[in-house]
Amino acid sequence: MNDIIFLIINGITVASIYGLIAVAVSITWSALGLLNLSYGFIFSFAGYGAWLAERHLYGEPIFVMFMGIAAGIIGGVMVCLLVFIPVHDKPNFTIRGMIGTLAISLIGGQVLLQNFGPKAKLLPEFFGYGKIKILDVTLTADKIGIICSSIIMLAIVVRWMKSSRRGLEIRAMMMNPHAASIVGIGVRKTGIYVMAVTGAMTGLSAVLLSQTYYLSPFSGLTPMIKGVSIALMGGLGSVRGAVIAAIILGFNEALTTKFLGGRYVLMTQFALIIIVLIIRPRGIAGILDKAREA
Amino acid sequence: MSDIKTKKRKTWKNPLAVWGAKGGNYEVATPEWKNPHQIWKDTKAFKVPTNKVGRFHYEYKSSNHGEKIWNRLRWWPTRRTILWTKGVYNRKSLKPEKIRKDKRPIFWFFSLLFLAIVPFILPDGYKNSLLTAGGIFGIYASINLCWTLVIGTAGIFSLATYAIVGLSAFLTTWLSINLGLPWWMLPMIGMIVGLAFGIIIALPALRLDGFYYGLLTLGLNELCRVFITTSHAFGAASGGLYGADTFINENWAPMTQTLVQYYSGFALLIAALFLFRFVDGKRLGRILKLAPEKKEAFAEASGVNYKRARVTVFLISSIALGFIGGFYAAYYRGSAFDIFSFHTVIMGLAMITIGGIGRADGAVAGTLIIVIIDRVLVELGPYRYIIIGFLMMFIILFLKNGLFGIRKQFRDWRDKKKGEARSSRLERGGEMLPEQATETDNKDEIYRRRYDKMQREFLKTLICDEVIEEHKQKPLGQHSEALERICYYFRRGAMNDKYVVKCEVPFKKYKIMALSGVRGRSPRLVEDKIYETVEAAYHGLFLRRIQDLMEA
Repeated sequence: MNDIIFLIINGITVASIYGLIAVAVSITWSALGLLNLSYGFIFSFAGYGAWLAERHLYGEPIFVMFMGIAAGIIGGVMVCLLVFIPVHDKPNFTIRGMIGTLAISLIGGQVLLQNFGPKAKLLPEFFGYGKIKILDVTLTADKIGIICSSIIMLAIVVRWMKSSRRGLEIRAMMMNPHAASIVGIGVRKTGIYVMAVTGAMTGLSAVLLSQTYYLSPFSGLTPMIKGVSIALMGGLGSVRGAVIAAIILGFNEALTTKFLGGRYVLMTQFALIIIVLIIRPRGIAGILDKAREA
Repeated sequence: MSDIKTKKRKTWKNPLAVWGAKGGNYEVATPEWKNPHQIWKDTKAFKVPTNKVGRFHYEYKSSNHGEKIWNRLRWWPTRRTILWTKGVYNRKSLKPEKIRKDKRPIFWFFSLLFLAIVPFILPDGYKNSLLTAGGIFGIYASINLCWTLVIGTAGIFSLATYAIVGLSAFLTTWLSINLGLPWWMLPMIGMIVGLAFGIIIALPALRLDGFYYGLLTLGLNELCRVFITTSHAFGAASGGLYGADTFINENWAPMTQTLVQYYSGFALLIAALFLFRFVDGKRLGRILKLAPEKKEAFAEASGVNYKRARVTVFLISSIALGFIGGFYAAYYRGSAFDIFSFHTVIMGLAMITIGGIGRADGAVAGTLIIVIIDRVLVELGPYRYIIIGFLMMFIILFLKNGLFGIRKQFRDWRDKKKGEARSSRLERGGEMLPEQATETDNKDEIYRRRYDKMQREFLKTLICDEVIEEHKQKPLGQHSEALERICYYFRRGAMNDKYVVKCEVPFKKYKIMALSGVRGRSPRLVEDKIYETVEAAYHGLFLRRIQDLMEA
């Protein structure tokens, strides 16, 4: 029983990191109509930003974390300026935007490889090495830290989107981009906000994941694909759906590892996603709220 | 007719006055004489921006032999003509001419001919590397053609193409190693693998649309990668699975091996092109062209079972991809894990987007460009990926649909510019626009309208207070030259809507009417005003005509 709880906590830890990317993918898709497949690059970019800050500026964990988030914001805005703003009003925007973000991740990955080499880098442990024991289950500090910081990040973003003027603009864009632009919401300006916020989320997930695993020029690909799968299962465009899907997939990962073995995690995960999508083609959010039509 | 006040005045003397023309004007004020030929000269004069009229100036028309314009060669035994040719008679010279309506077969023929003979004209120093790249080009171009069938023809945005190829290659290699299958069995087995995998991933395609499916297949690709690389059966440690039977004999001379590789890749490309032609250009393709994205409801209402057609195309191309996977295994004696990587998907997307999604020529040309950058310019190292990335960025930022969409994009842009230019110089005045002019068969009408327009322009300059005053004094009889020209023009007008005076009570009540111009249809009354005398009615009619002239 204990190891199941241990695995579930593991699964939730990983799911909270991937969930951040999933929410980022979801928000970008629903607000901008942009399928951003360059989150892998933004992830690595933010990780290297944090690593550089730790090496050359100041090694305090909280500072490194914020530098990672800042690098994520820069990466997101960069993608927005290079792809979204030039292409968003042109024909075939969705496919051109997607290919543009792929091109950025191709170029960016190679540039990172040129500058930092293929060797993996490690970020420091942000949350120390403490342990807490609750009901025979040992919780390490980094797991608690990861779960808490991603929940805080998500809460801030959701709160900001619910209560601020900019958040209102973004939500208006999610509902109906045409109507939003008619009532005077600037598509380009909103695009920059959205990409900055989602970049910050990706940056946080990068620093959180890179301290437990490692950082390399292409280490963002797997988190991005996982994030995209979660977003897909949750329903593109829905934050609630993405959170629910992240939790379900986290449980699935834990249970599959326990009963079938780690090799079958992806298989059961995709079986689950396909089943959900065959029942609800718009993901879990198809039940909750209306997802954006392509 | 801008400034009447500043016009020089002149006096016109009635030449009949010498003989005492009774009741006529003996001497009236009249405007300065203007040369009526001047406007003709002005219109004909060379003005620097000459605007071309009509379309297809530069279309090449070959001359015809003999008088018949319909005699043409056909592919035996079909009724299909070798080139789509249209016979026309030149409108000016009336000579028979031929237009090739579709020139693409000519370009395809010469490009493929070039690829067929290229091994014999390459310099020896580069021969080996270029021919190896050529073989890879053949395989990748065939994969991309099948992918184009899925994305373009079927409209299913699948990113799992390379996963099907890779899965088929790995399974056939494994079977070949463990069961000792000969090389010619591998593509056959591959077809079965492709069909099976195609059926599995076609299921969600029925429910999901567009990018939802694309993201799902991206995940499936990752699933295959993780499954194959972690599985012990497929040689997790060695970076790939090798050891399949091959059709390339190692005992041959190295150049023979390279040539066999090149020509087998070329043959695969030809086969894929035929597959594309027979799926995209025949019944299935026609059905699916009726059901593009977001128009499915219309297709369904027209009785087209587009879902079935889409899945059929998807399965056909999956079988073909499985075949290519088996061929790949027999070609390279196995396969590397690279084929499942995200990098491969990006490269494949680069290939089909650079050429233009949904077109066979785009897929082949894009593959050629990427293979040249990726495999021939190897000295550039990682920079070649940066070049490819910038090429993709350039294409998506500036082109609507890749390199082969440039033609249409340029034409749209040119038509837009033409329209803008035309609207900026629009002073029609009844003259035909270039479009109308090319569409009308009676070319006399163009010149009649042009002459009419010039004449009206000229007459407008003559109208002034003096002329109207002169007409008021004496509607009939001898007039000054200016008034005479105006009256002649009015009298010569067409019968429809021509004004006439109607006498209600002789010498008391007159009204103005307009003729219908159609026999049997009565004239209509244009105003209720009653004129006391016929002269006043004549003048009222004259004023109406002048008003119409100035307004037109």
